[in-house]
Amino acid sequence: MDKNILSLFQLCDSNFPTGAFSHSFGLESYIQDNLVTDQETFYRWLQVYLHEQLVYTDGLACSLVYEALSIEDFERIWELDRLLTVQNLPRETREGTQMIGSRMLKLAQTLFGFPILSKYNEEIRKKHSFGHPSIVFTMVAHGLGVSKTNAILYYLYSSISSMVQNGVRAIPLGQTGGQMIIHRFVSDLTKAVEKILLLGEEDFGIVSPGLELSQMKHERVNIRIFMS
Amino acid sequence: MGDWTGELSLDLENRNGKTVAGNVFFQGAFKVMRPIYHDDSGQVCYYLLNPGGGYLDGDRYRMKISAGEDSKVTLTTQSATKVYKTPKDHVYQESEILLKKGSYLEYLPDPLIAYENAHYKQKNVVRMESGSTFLYTDILTPGWSPSGEKFSYDTIQLKTEIYLDGKLGVFDHIKLSPEDNSVEGLGFMEGFTHLGSLMAVSEETDNQLLDELYDKIYSEQANIKFGLSKLAIPGLSIRVLANSTQIIERIFNDCHKIISRKLNHATPRSLRKY
Repeated sequence: MDKNILSLFQLCDSNFPTGAFSHSFGLESYIQDNLVTDQETFYRWLQVYLHEQLVYTDGLACSLVYEALSIEDFERIWELDRLLTVQNLPRETREGTQMIGSRMLKLAQTLFGFPILSKYNEEIRKKHSFGHPSIVFTMVAHGLGVSKTNAILYYLYSSISSMVQNGVRAIPLGQTGGQMIIHRFVSDLTKAVEKILLLGEEDFGIVSPGLELSQMKHERVNIRIFMS
Repeated sequence: MGDWTGELSLDLENRNGKTVAGNVFFQGAFKVMRPIYHDDSGQVCYYLLNPGGGYLDGDRYRMKISAGEDSKVTLTTQSATKVYKTPKDHVYQESEILLKKGSYLEYLPDPLIAYENAHYKQKNVVRMESGSTFLYTDILTPGWSPSGEKFSYDTIQLKTEIYLDGKLGVFDHIKLSPEDNSVEGLGFMEGFTHLGSLMAVSEETDNQLLDELYDKIYSEQANIKFGLSKLAIPGLSIRVLANSTQIIERIFNDCHKIISRKLNHATPRSLRKY
């Protein structure tokens, strides 16, 4: 089991080449508007990003996809893939997420070779599905026998840690500052997972208007270091 | 849910260039006024109204609209939708809108005002055939509260699903619960009080239309925050945060003109109701 968790950690590493380092998910707009300027404001921004956006989208999707995998309800997974994509109204963020998802899928296929990954790839190739990192991640976690709770927790951890790396570069913050944020996020992540376990499909996709709007705004920013 | 406080169903069709109702049905606290033709384009305009003047505890409303091939329809309300306090049960409204090939339907309701302790849920399901055009706006405003807090309502929850040829193409879920989350602040309402959303779905959406809308909203002088983007299906969405209904209405009126000229090939008349 430890071996399997270790295998999943590889996907959580912010060096895992999915291209996530090119996407700020609206953070860059806040930095340019001088709303995120230091460790404290970045921490608050990340909290909203986690508790008000990721929880209702990627995080809840991990939970729902995991359940669908357990009963081999693949149609349900393709449905969630569509839902995740079409609820993401900002084009840049939607396309960016799709790119991250398909890169993660290719790598995961090479590394793990679970049949479900090829099935997902086939759906995407036929343009029936779009590709989303939270779905690929959950497929790998499920395939490795990692529990649902841990699958959600590690996914959220990997999202937050890669966002922290982006913040460190863009704000900029010192490496120690970045690590302090990740350390502070341990309890936030646990809380987020507890919340997700109480949510159902009817809660899916609740948006944070401000975050969403900044993700849209980013599409019109000329000087930028991130693709989204 | 069997007992509807108000029900409305309206089937519209194009008869020799004029859009007319093939079937009109309403009962309870939901009504539609007689059709109005603002010009000779054949586009019909219906004003929906709630004779009770507002939504009360536990009210349930249902609306079904269908726009037949090549029909042109404007749907609006006669005044703002007011949701009063709902101590026992939330207010629920569901709408189903069907658009056949070549039809143009715009649904432009007045703002939703949620008063103190109001809990409101809404679900819109739009089913489009390719070649049809749909435009939708909504404006959410906090009602006045005796305690003077900005956000005194309990919950406003709006779900919108747009299907194109049977496939889900847009899913939007807004849920504002001032008590559960710090709605006012960073990432959420960003210190603003009013939220406006606009969605347009049409095969004719292009970058030029987005640029034109962007430039128009960008020229707005009032303190606002906005974003616009292309949907996963041909179409666009706009979000506006502002501090008054009038500002969002002014912006959406301008957008309506631009979108209507491009997607309906017509300059819309003002829907002013007073």
